[in-house]
Formats: sequence, C-alpha cells, structure tokens
Amino acid sequence: MGMYSISPEHAIGLVGGLVALAIALLALPRHPRWRAVPGTVRAAAVLMAVSGGVHFALIPHHLATEPLTSVLFFFNGVAFVTLALSFTWRHWRLASAGLLIATVLGYLFYIGVGLEGPDQVGLATKLVEVTALGLALVPVRGEVGRTHRSWRWTGLGVALPVLIVMTGATAWIVDLARPDAHHRHAGALLQSSNPIATPAQVEAANRLYAETKSAILPYQDWHHAWAAGYRPGGSTTLPSTHWMNQRYVDAGYVMDPNRPQGLVYANTHHGPVLLGAMFQMKGLDHFGPDPGGPMTLWHQHENICVTPFGFEFSLMTPFSVCPIGAIDISASPMLHVWIVDNPTGGPFAVDIDPKVVSAVDRS
Amino acid sequence: MVGAPARQTSRPEGVFVLLLLQSIFWMVAGLSALPFALAGEIHMAGLGLVSLLLAALVCLVGIGVLWRKRWARRTAIVFEVLTVIGSGLSLLVPIGANRGPVALLVDLALPGAVIWLLRGKTARSDFV
Repeated sequence: MGMYSISPEHAIGLVGGLVALAIALLALPRHPRWRAVPGTVRAAAVLMAVSGGVHFALIPHHLATEPLTSVLFFFNGVAFVTLALSFTWRHWRLASAGLLIATVLGYLFYIGVGLEGPDQVGLATKLVEVTALGLALVPVRGEVGRTHRSWRWTGLGVALPVLIVMTGATAWIVDLARPDAHHRHAGALLQSSNPIATPAQVEAANRLYAETKSAILPYQDWHHAWAAGYRPGGSTTLPSTHWMNQRYVDAGYVMDPNRPQGLVYANTHHGPVLLGAMFQMKGLDHFGPDPGGPMTLWHQHENICVTPFGFEFSLMTPFSVCPIGAIDISASPMLHVWIVDNPTGGPFAVDIDPKVVSAVDRS
Repeated sequence: MVGAPARQTSRPEGVFVLLLLQSIFWMVAGLSALPFALAGEIHMAGLGLVSLLLAALVCLVGIGVLWRKRWARRTAIVFEVLTVIGSGLSLLVPIGANRGPVALLVDLALPGAVIWLLRGKTARSDFV
C-alpha cells in the first residue's frame, strides 16, 4: 500500500490507538499527582499511551511473519505505557525524549530498508510521537527545580524540524522509488487485472490502438484539435501538455476512440506535436473497461495538489498538506494511447518516455 | 519530579508546539512545490514561496502565543478557524481529497486543538 493508504494489516493499530486514548483519558487523571504537573506533560503522557496502544495492537499480525518486529513492538509498547504512567519521575523528560526519538528513527530505518512500507497508520503514529516529544520538551512558565530550559529549547528546536523533515523525506522517497504492484510513478494507482494478457486481450488491445490512432491522426495538426474543442489543460512551457475537450469530459464517453477526452502534445520548438490520446472516466470511483487486460490498465492520480492558476500541479506531502492556493484532489481514472513509439512502457503506458519527447523536440 | 507550575497554565506552550509543527508542515509543502516550478510550472514558484512565508508567519504567531501576546492569540484562532473551514470543505466536497488519519490529524485535529486551547475567558486572561 502507498503512504496515502491504510495498510489492511496495520488498520488494527488505529483501533489500538483509539482504545488506548480512551483508556488514558479515563485512567491517567486518577493519578494522584495528575494536577501537579503541567498540562503539556499530561498531554504528552496521553499521546505516549496512544502510541503504546498502536504498538501493542500491531503485535498479533506481525507475530507469525516478523517475530523480531513483534518483540520490538512489545517492548516499545511497554516502554510507552510505563512512561505514560510515570510522568512524575525525575528523569521522565529525558527518558521520554530518548524513547520517542528512537522510535521515530527506528520506523524510518524499517521503511528505509524495506522491512515495512510507509502507510497512514505509521505516519499518523509518528505525528503523534513527534507531537508528544514537543510537549514533553517544551519549557513551561513557573516550573520549579532544575528545569534545564536551555537544553530543552535546543532539543525542541532541533528535534522537531529534523524528525518531521526526515520522516516526510523518507516516506516520500520510499513511496516513489519503491511503488507496490498497484502503483506507478507519482503514486498513480493502477487498475487490477490478470497478470498475462490472453490472445483475445492482445487482439482487443491492438484493435483499440489501431482505431484510436486512426481517429486522432487528423489532430496531428493542432488547429483541427482546437476546432474540435480541445484546449491546453496546463502550462505549455512543460515538455508535454494534455489538451482536454470539456464537452467530451462532460458527456462521459467511455473509451470512445473517436471522442477521446484528451490529447497529449509535445511542446516542441516547431509547435505542438501529437503524442497520443487520453481516455478519462467521468467519475472518480470506477476504472474504465480494459479490453486488453494487463495491456490496457487504467490509472488514477491520487492526492495531487492542483492549482487553479494555470492548471498546474504538485504532489501532496506525506503530511497531507498542499502548497497554499492548491487543493488536494484525485483525478478520474485515465488511459493513454501513445501513437508515437514508447519503448519503455508501450502504447498504453501511464507515461511517455521523456527521451521520446526530447527526440520529438529535436526532430 | 517533573517541574510543576505554580498556578500557571501551560496552554500557550502547548499551542506553540502545535503551531511549530504546523509551520514545519507548511514549510515542507512550500519546498515541495519548488521542484515543480523548476520543471516549468511557473505558478508553483509563487505558491511555494507564499507557503514558505505562511510557515514563517505561523511560527511567529506561535512565538507570540508563547509570549502571551493578545494579537497572537487572536491571529492563531482566526487562522485555525479558516484552516478548519477550508479543510472541512475539501474533505466534504467529492473531489477525491485524502481522508486518511494523517489528513484528519493535520487538517482538523491540530487546528481544532489550537482553537480549543485558546478559547474562553480563562485562556484570554493569560494574554496581554
């Protein structure tokens, strides 16, 4: 699963975290010294109990396949719950900070070397832990005794940004560099299909390719595309641009070779050069038909940050934040048909090879 | 024993931590837009820089809250209310926005917690 999804085997962790939250909110205030410590300490104790609950809940699933991980989860959970209960301990802040930092770094090691994939449960737990770290370290007005304020400010100012940036960068790099079988570049979600195309599917894919190519060849002259209602759907300063026909999008034609919702043009020094067509479903929830089986898999771009200023996009961060002015959306499922030779992925690939686009520009 | 406050609230310090986190999230979002700007998406450069500016402003507001400044409390509440409204709308409208636990924590729980910690007369009386 990608980092924007909840891994099914980790979903129980969310339940564990919520149960731990409820128990912590009910039980911790009964501690005789609960009111004697700052609210930031109390909040950190509750958040550590939540993290402990997540770790405990993940033990059963990992027990059979990853016993060492289960053992680590157990000790991690015990340590979190112990510290959540012992918030009056003299060395509580130091011990909590050490445990929280070690846990976040341990997670990054796990996903970095591929022992786990980044997912929403892992990332949400790390957010909870980093927040707990900040609350445990932040100095509070009116504290008595040796408070080590300068050390705590330094720790807070360094640890929080560093841990968040490291977590985001690691999750992002792993997610993009090692996509699972259902994802391609930029997190595009692929339709499921049988692994090897049958002869009938090969024939159907070839037929779709031939019909589509024949239907869009007139649009090699972009003026014809313009006359048919296609308009650039993004910046024309990029190597290629999707030209969209809003009438066909609204009509909801499904994989009609004569009325593809989009055309893809290379932006060359000698004008737009047609690279292929794009079919797009009207709704978000269903992939289109794939007559070619694994040869004609539809894909869907999820969690992209789209700006209305010139229809440009970026990727949503692992912390579910887009740049200001852009909003997080998922695009409707789409299928490309490349009419130029695309050696790396074939005629129905999610992407056109950038080298092909460069070669078209040079020609 | 962990140092105990003498009848002092630690809500501003808690809010500072949350605003610092939010500021870092905006910083990462701003930085993440810049590679797209380099690739030719010129508007993303502007959005990235505005996001970085917002990150700096949120951090400054956090410091203001830490110093118990009334302007910072007001600014933080207004900012977080706008964040909750904007995030709530994007989650409700069927545009395929992510509704996972991270989005709920960052876009709703965090700003909601800031509003909750700063609301009311008692909290207001701590600010000058």
